[in-house]
Amino acid sequence: MSTTLERPPSRAGTESATLAGTGTLVRFMLRRDRIRFPAWAVGLPLLMAYFAVALESLAGTPEDLQGLTSFTSSPAGALFGGPGFGFDQLTLERFLVGQYGLYILVGAGLMGLLTVVRHTRAEEHTGRAELVRANVVGRHAQLTAALVLTTLMAVLATVLIALVMTSRGYDAGGSLLFGASAGAVVVAFGAIGAVTAQLSEYPRAAAGFAGALLGTAFVLRGLGDMAAVQGSGPSWLSWLSPIGWSQQTAPYTHDDWWPLALCLVFSAAVTAAGYALSARRDFGAGLIPPRPGSPRAAAWLSGPLALSFRLQRAGLIGWSLALLVGGVAYGSFTQPLLEGFQDAPEDLLAVMGGSENMLAGYLGLMGFFMALVVTIFVILAVHGLRGEETEGRAEPVLATAVGRSAWIGSYLLVSAIGAPWLLLVAGLGMGLGAAVSTGDSGLVADLVAGHLAHTPAVWLVLAIAALLYAAVPRALPAAWAVLGYGLIAGMFAPMLNLPDEVIRISPFGHIGDYPRDDISITAVLILTLLAAAGAAAAIARFRRRDLVTTA
Amino acid sequence: MSTAIDIRQIVKTFGHVTALDGLDLTVQTGQVHGFLGPNGAGKSTTIRILLGLLRADSGTARLLGRDPWADAVALHRRLAYVPGDVELWPNLTGGEAIDLFSRLRGGVAPARRDELCERFDLDPSKKGRTYSKGNRQKVALIAALASDVELLVLDEPTAGLDPLMEAVFQDCIREVKTAGRTVLLSSHILAQVEALADQISIIRQGRIVETGSLAQLRHLTRTSVEVMTDRSTTVLADLPGVHNLRSTNGYTQFEVDGEHLATVVRRLGELGVHGLTAHPPTLEQLLLRHYGDQLGHDDAKAVTR
Ligand SMILES: Nc1ncnc2c1ncn2[C@@H]1O[C@H](COP(=O)(O)OP(=O)(O)OP(=O)(O)O)[C@@H](O)[C@H]1O
Ligand SMILES: [Mg+2]
Repeated sequence: MSTTLERPPSRAGTESATLAGTGTLVRFMLRRDRIRFPAWAVGLPLLMAYFAVALESLAGTPEDLQGLTSFTSSPAGALFGGPGFGFDQLTLERFLVGQYGLYILVGAGLMGLLTVVRHTRAEEHTGRAELVRANVVGRHAQLTAALVLTTLMAVLATVLIALVMTSRGYDAGGSLLFGASAGAVVVAFGAIGAVTAQLSEYPRAAAGFAGALLGTAFVLRGLGDMAAVQGSGPSWLSWLSPIGWSQQTAPYTHDDWWPLALCLVFSAAVTAAGYALSARRDFGAGLIPPRPGSPRAAAWLSGPLALSFRLQRAGLIGWSLALLVGGVAYGSFTQPLLEGFQDAPEDLLAVMGGSENMLAGYLGLMGFFMALVVTIFVILAVHGLRGEETEGRAEPVLATAVGRSAWIGSYLLVSAIGAPWLLLVAGLGMGLGAAVSTGDSGLVADLVAGHLAHTPAVWLVLAIAALLYAAVPRALPAAWAVLGYGLIAGMFAPMLNLPDEVIRISPFGHIGDYPRDDISITAVLILTLLAAAGAAAAIARFRRRDLVTTA
Repeated sequence: MSTAIDIRQIVKTFGHVTALDGLDLTVQTGQVHGFLGPNGAGKSTTIRILLGLLRADSGTARLLGRDPWADAVALHRRLAYVPGDVELWPNLTGGEAIDLFSRLRGGVAPARRDELCERFDLDPSKKGRTYSKGNRQKVALIAALASDVELLVLDEPTAGLDPLMEAVFQDCIREVKTAGRTVLLSSHILAQVEALADQISIIRQGRIVETGSLAQLRHLTRTSVEVMTDRSTTVLADLPGVHNLRSTNGYTQFEVDGEHLATVVRRLGELGVHGLTAHPPTLEQLLLRHYGDQLGHDDAKAVTR
């Protein structure tokens, strides 16, 4: 007894105490994620393999490849691909990492941030972590274990991507570098998740904030890469983004490893900030203290529709702001884009269809892209609806005079109105940015129309998600596949000359990307009808099933 | 007397788990009906079927004379429900939640709501996420008690309340009873059921195993008796209905089944009694008999399989 009292614990002793139990927790997390872990860490390499095989079969000859560069070397191509290193002497592998690699990197970022939030804030929020923490588990063990798990996923993804690429006969060094670039993004956004998890008590807010930073990283490098391709403008923006660092490694072209060092330093600093914040807050609490609110409900808060609006209001405000800012940022790039064309050689411009068409193409693509982003909002909204049920808040509401149809119907209605609203905001933002930068105020109407036209496609995805939720609540995540397919079909199919039918399975392949294409009124009507039918089926199904309750 | 709740032969399964296995339950209008049973017996499942949140596989249920699944909305205007685990919206205050529930149900009584907030000592201006478990429970209780409905369905409504609040709750339920309203009260707090319930039903493994007033249930179980006698009491051991007889130096303890009590008392008279205490069974003993049986039952099943 006395000996332990005489010797104050050494500094090393306290440090290891705060980490006690980390190993056990990592094993426990691996067991909990026995499906999720390989799904992500193997899924990304498999996606890369799919891209490789698809590209090889489509562009077998060097001439085919050269044909692809007209889009990819354009500013819009840079925005949605990357700086395009070595595209002047194009090879399959350069094209793969230069154009598709970006989406692997975005997936890697999502994997990192979702994994960390899932095992830290989400655990704390449900109260499971409290049980864990009451055992011999140090204060920092949970966060450390989550970061270890994320790093393991990053390493596995790195190795598998490298193996997949090498096995297709690409240079081993470049393959490993690209794998490591993806791994670095996993680690960087895992670190960002470790910080955002400290800020709010809500796992969804933590993931949402980290996701917004991922979106910002995407936009920053997009603007920077666009400037780089044009040879004018703020190309340094790419260097503010962890995704940008990973792209600057230029696998198979320059094979630079040093940008990844930047990423590691960044990750270490951000992780340290996460630990520091974690030490400053109470268990279960966020850093933003709760404020008291109104002791009475406002008069309008009186029915299921008002409740649904109240529940989605904060999200709608946040999304509106983000889309407005993003829209203005992308829109204000219209003028530098046009100037870029003026510098381009005459014959190149002719090949691209003239500067008029290039502008319409860029604006049309932006509308399509924003439609995908708003689709994220509607799928997340249905996830929120499911949360109301699984977290036990639907039960007391459905025990009042609110019927099943009114409950699900009013929630879906708010999301459905939210979709065109957000498209309007994004279109308006882009239109204003474009109009101010070019001085052509006519662009506002074009962009608003082009964005709004996608509404029925977003509605259809909303209806599909609602139907999945109503019929098989656990299968709701499958709705993301529709979005993923829309992305691949819309972004890559045109440049790969994929058959029309392939594009047309996607809800986004029908209406047309105005002002590049005309808006198909028939498609608008049919998609709207399909969405309405889907929503009606979802409501009918939800009326007939048991509520998901906890025992 | 009319019936507020009438359940006949309800069966409900979740995959391979049979939660309710031919359950019968009748609750008379104007009574407080205690609903007791071990964990996982099926109390919450029964209540959710009565609320139309779950659909029974077979059997019939009538609530206030109507079908709880088909007429859910119309019925819900006439009842209020407090779940066992109250979850609130994190960014709505307790007061907003109370108002919202009252409005969604149809009736609003602001004065009563404020009075209840006071009695339950609830600060309605806090956000949902900052309430403790007991305070979340209070929010749901106030929303239910403030409404002017015929039937209260309460699933372990005071699981998180402190003893002072428990007393307030019991007062409120007595007022509800005086007003002629009906209460279905699922609970693990025996003192609460003993104090409030007119009728009690005990559920085990998805079936009602006992139902009746507390007095009737007591009669079905054993009374413990302690006596001081001049003569030996060994003769008692052979009487029907006598259990666990222990005797030392003229002091004897034993238990006797309710129906044989009269015979035993008659025989005791011949033994020179000069001291006697008899305890009716407590609700706890009554329940432990049923809860305990469960284990024996399971073992028996396991062996015969
Ligand atoms: N949604 C569900 N899915 C699967 N099984 C369930 C579900 N709900 C209840 N059960 C099972 O049904 C049985 C009865 O559960 P129920 O919640 O009705 O018990 P209870 O009497 O309310 O218990 P407690 O006193 O612990 O609240 C249990 O075996 C439980 O595991
Ligand atoms: Mg229960």
